[in-house]
Amino acid sequence: MSEVIFGSKIMQLLIAFILVSTFMILGSTRLYSCVRSFGIQSFLLACVAGIVAYSTGKNDIFIVALLTLIIKSAVIPYIFIYIIREIKVKREVELYVNISPSIIIGGILVVISYYLIRSISIISELSSLALSASVSLVSIGLFIMISRKKALMQMLGILIMENGLFLGAISLTNGMPLLVELGIFFDVLIGVLIMGILIFRINKTFESIDTDMLKTLIG
Amino acid sequence: MIEYLLIAPILIGILCFFARSKKEVEAISLTGSITTLVIGLTLVENVYRQGVIISWTNALFADAFSAFIVLIVSIVGFVASIYSIGYMGHEFKHGIMDFRKLKIYYVLFHIFMFTMLLVGVTNNLGLWIAIEMTTLVSALLMILYTKKSSVEAAWKYMIICTVGITFALFGTILTYYAAVKILGETGDALNWTSLIAVAGQFDPTIMKLAFIFILIGYGTKAGLAPMHTWLPDAHSEAPTPVSALLSGVLLNCAMYGIIRFYTIATKSTGPDFTGNLLIIFGLLSLGVAVPFIILQEDYKRMLAYSSVEHMGIIALGIGFGGVYGIFGAVLHMFNHAMTKSLMFFGAGNVLLKYETKEIGKVSGIVKSMPATGAMLLIGGLAITGSPPFSIFLSEFTILSAGFLQGNIISSVLFLLFMIMIFAGFFNNLAKMTFGTSGIIPGEVSRWTLGAMAILLVFVIVLGVYIPPFFYEMIMKVVAVVR
Repeated sequence: MSEVIFGSKIMQLLIAFILVSTFMILGSTRLYSCVRSFGIQSFLLACVAGIVAYSTGKNDIFIVALLTLIIKSAVIPYIFIYIIREIKVKREVELYVNISPSIIIGGILVVISYYLIRSISIISELSSLALSASVSLVSIGLFIMISRKKALMQMLGILIMENGLFLGAISLTNGMPLLVELGIFFDVLIGVLIMGILIFRINKTFESIDTDMLKTLIG
Repeated sequence: MIEYLLIAPILIGILCFFARSKKEVEAISLTGSITTLVIGLTLVENVYRQGVIISWTNALFADAFSAFIVLIVSIVGFVASIYSIGYMGHEFKHGIMDFRKLKIYYVLFHIFMFTMLLVGVTNNLGLWIAIEMTTLVSALLMILYTKKSSVEAAWKYMIICTVGITFALFGTILTYYAAVKILGETGDALNWTSLIAVAGQFDPTIMKLAFIFILIGYGTKAGLAPMHTWLPDAHSEAPTPVSALLSGVLLNCAMYGIIRFYTIATKSTGPDFTGNLLIIFGLLSLGVAVPFIILQEDYKRMLAYSSVEHMGIIALGIGFGGVYGIFGAVLHMFNHAMTKSLMFFGAGNVLLKYETKEIGKVSGIVKSMPATGAMLLIGGLAITGSPPFSIFLSEFTILSAGFLQGNIISSVLFLLFMIMIFAGFFNNLAKMTFGTSGIIPGEVSRWTLGAMAILLVFVIVLGVYIPPFFYEMIMKVVAVVR
């Protein structure tokens, strides 16, 4: 069932756009535009879930799509913007790895993900596209976490990974049972709030949110 | 029954929030944790008598293994709440914590208890949600201190564990995918009870992949090397009663997640694949702990690395498999929880008295605090695996399982690491406990000693005698895991 849905043209287009939005995050140096790209990515994800819900006619997935739309593409970006405004940081990303190598590495990660998923071949050709996009999102999220200095970007990296897993879950099995999905949304939202609190605390104690400062505990 | 166990700590947390004085909040917290303990023990008894309990439309359930986790959480939680009164009271008296923070501490403490109990009793493999919740709450507990190091530790903890847990979620999704192929897309397809019945028919390729992700994911949270890097920071920077809960109980909860998936995965992939992975990660954890324990300068960090070591031992026990291996591992979970909490409590007393975490600056604990010193020494002997204490028994069982199953090289390595850790740990502990101290003798608080004494009973008694009902309980857990 899920193969047919994910084979459709519109779905493949959406998945391609999700990847593009990830590269927009990789390629931008302004915090605001990173957050905006993340919002777009989540919106596209909500569309994917919406289409799956429409084709399968399952109410559970409609709820999930709606929650994605509200929480991930509106509430969470808003929290980000609130934090950026409140702590008055310099609004640049500050990188360990520059933009152009970042994008190249991102491209390599996508290629590796595609080959990886093909080689495992646990699912058919059609929905393997979505699954490899999901693995790419997870690995690029991880890469963003380690290549950007600001604590905010690490938070964003985790959320990109989570988006990737969401795409994976929905392409493999049409989403997890509703109770589990609701639990995951709850955890993500609370997680973002608590990470926000931590970022405020880091800013207060270290007078900066560069994770360079957080290197005293070793051994 | 299970609902009460979950509602109780939340209610207590809320009540703590409305307390108006230090005495009041302490009284609520203590009666609350006694209530949780009583409900927990009743649940354990019910499970022991009737077998599996299911409630709340299949979402909550308790079998022998869940009951065992509930037992550990509620006992250590109860003892830690006694200890908190002494420890946090001391911090309060010296102005490190104001009343507002003290109150928040107790609120979070009980919510933390709730999340850990939830890990034990979710029927769903969405156990993931509960484990992520434990991270969130305990990170908040860590930043109660405004020191730079605490904030740094909390951030690292939060980030590394969340990423780890994300991998575990991927493993969970893959398991669900394997299950859906057999069971169809029902809400039950992630339920532990329905999974275990058909686990043998799952696609082994998917389950192998899923188990690797689960092991890396929950392994991060359980402090298995090489994903353990957050652990020493977090465990040494948290308030001491919380350190005890993190080391003694929370690591076990993460281990519980791994073992649950181990059971499912093994049914489809066969014991060699899962077992060998666990043995590799177990030995790696033991090996990594050795140099860090020997050369350690901070005693709370030393205890944290010792937790890495013990999680490695539990992983080894499960990896060796067979009745002996799993029996040893399960018993070790309990023994480690008790002994490590005892050690952290002792270390907390030392920290309050000497106001330093450096091993080199502490000496003569036996003279300055005779009771704490004596209990630390016994605990130290126990945690390094000397007879006749409880940990010796479980480690010996695991070791003999290793030889019995023919894992000679791993068993010899295990023994070798144990000897080195014993030497290193005891060398550091002896430096601290013996010698002269320039500090006026006197214990910190009677509450802290009482808490330690309760744990000491478990450490000593279980070393020489395992009561028949406890033995039978563990055998039931072994039957669930195998």
